Amino acid sequence: MRILLAAAAALWLGLGAAIAAQPPADPLKSVMWERMYEQFFAGKRVVFDGKVSVIAPKVAEDQTAIPVTVDAGNLPGVREIVVIADLNPIQKVLSYEPVRAKPYISFRFKAEQGTPVRAAALTEDGVWHMGGIYVDAAGGGCSTPALAHGNPEWITRLAEVRGKIWHQEGRSSARLRLRVVHPMDTGLADGIPAFYVEKLDIRDSSGAVIGKVHIHEPVAENPTLTLEPNLRPADDRVIIKGRDNEGNEINAVVPVGVRQSALDVEADRSVR
Amino acid sequence: MTARKPTIVGGARGLRRALPLGHWPVQWPLDLDRRSFLGQSAALVGAALLPAEALAAPLHYDLKAVQIAPDTYAVYGTREYFSRANGGNIVNVAFVVTDDGVVVIDTGSSLLYGQTLKALVEATAKRPVARVYLTHHHPDHIFGSQAFDPATVATLPKVIANMKADGEMFAENMYRLVGDWMRGTELVAPGKALEESSERFGSHEFELIRMAGHTSSDLVILDKTTGVLFAGDIAFLDRAPTTPHADLDLWHKSLNQLENSSFTMLMPGHGPAEKGKRAVEQTNDYLNWLERTLKDAVHEGLTMNEAMAAPIPERLRGVALARDELGRSVAHLYAKYEEPFLPVVGDHS
Repeated sequence: MRILLAAAAALWLGLGAAIAAQPPADPLKSVMWERMYEQFFAGKRVVFDGKVSVIAPKVAEDQTAIPVTVDAGNLPGVREIVVIADLNPIQKVLSYEPVRAKPYISFRFKAEQGTPVRAAALTEDGVWHMGGIYVDAAGGGCSTPALAHGNPEWITRLAEVRGKIWHQEGRSSARLRLRVVHPMDTGLADGIPAFYVEKLDIRDSSGAVIGKVHIHEPVAENPTLTLEPNLRPADDRVIIKGRDNEGNEINAVVPVGVRQSALDVEADRSVR
Repeated sequence: MTARKPTIVGGARGLRRALPLGHWPVQWPLDLDRRSFLGQSAALVGAALLPAEALAAPLHYDLKAVQIAPDTYAVYGTREYFSRANGGNIVNVAFVVTDDGVVVIDTGSSLLYGQTLKALVEATAKRPVARVYLTHHHPDHIFGSQAFDPATVATLPKVIANMKADGEMFAENMYRLVGDWMRGTELVAPGKALEESSERFGSHEFELIRMAGHTSSDLVILDKTTGVLFAGDIAFLDRAPTTPHADLDLWHKSLNQLENSSFTMLMPGHGPAEKGKRAVEQTNDYLNWLERTLKDAVHEGLTMNEAMAAPIPERLRGVALARDELGRSVAHLYAKYEEPFLPVVGDHS
């Protein structure tokens, strides 16, 4: 009997290890959390350890452009950041591989209704560290036609890139802000098929990857990203290469410019 | 993509469709639990009244008319943002009692507010309402007009166009923000599009001044008989200005025009009526600071969330909701300031 119990216990433990991780309790208490876990993190170890900060307004003033900042700077060796809005019809907002950049990304997204916004950062040990916030919003952010559709001029500027790099005195990273002209149609507005930027790669002048952003439909019209690349003294420019889901290419070169900072004080007063 | 059509209906849109306006999904006879909870006394109220009104604490706007000048009364709203606690009573309304009837300026945020206001006006003035002016199309100013005879409701043609464009969205958002206070509220188009530059009621002549900046069309009204200027939301006082449809350059022009005009007292859309021009000066000051703050933030490479955290200067700390309205203004205006500042890069031609 005792042997049987021990065998059963051993089997149980073994199975437990094989089944691996279960979704941990969700501090945001989202009704969709288990589904989100199954869909995006099945079998993975997810921890809510307060190491990933997600900053967004508690109440969105504009449900078509809710500003979100994700900062996983408290974690070493972040491989990837994934951002999810549970109650959106399309939940995955974007993912980011900060290859030679701070694990930091700021962007705007569209919410169809009030929703948890969560970001998970993958560290080298295979653990996903998750943080999040609930954002209240009026309805319809994902199903409202983009402003571009009220202005026939937009097509002539499609894929136009605006951008600038700021050096941050006393910090190893610079700040890169980018805007791409694109309607970012979700496919959920009547009669307007999905049409959105899928991918933006940032490389240095030798072609080495600095970061890769995988963009999904909920990112707001004219995607505006803020990233913090770790530039080297030899870097005189960064190269942006991307495309949308129709194969339109996005190409730009952002000069690095003079290494002077306007940002040191402001950056410190702000993010945390 | 078609496979990913949304399965979730919700938000204010879904809720509003689920609850027909003006009705509550409680059927007579009430179910047993509610009947026993209410007891005999509630049953005596009568079948006609009984659905929901008898169950929930009745919503009631506590409106008071404060005389600010001869024949002239203010009905002050709280210096807050919309909430379920204040029912949207965040706006100033005014009325002027004339021999030809009462002239009302703005109408509050809901049908119930409008009904309460109409009763207050008629009880105070002891005569009917002859004219209702709407200063601009924002929800806290227009939705109470539903309680008045549409033929008496007047505003500028562009305000009417703005109401038609944004009214439904405003109604949905208001249901979300203040809930049941909005019951029965619907957009009603004003009966009169103002073409004239003034109107006379009794001994009061109202100059109708076309301005813009807070929205694309703002009606400012000067009662030439008393010298009271009803500035609508062109001027705020001790309450931060709001910018969802603002053009700051046009707004400054309008304020400068007020700075150079003469009036005895200014009634702002939000905040106290005062003699003098403090509301004009403070609104100008706040908007200058706001614009400087947004431009600096863009220049420094800040994100919207960082710009929202900018410090409020000492002199504006007494302005209610400055922090909240900075956050809202960043949402409204930041992209507009970024656009010209971020240079076009790359090989797009």
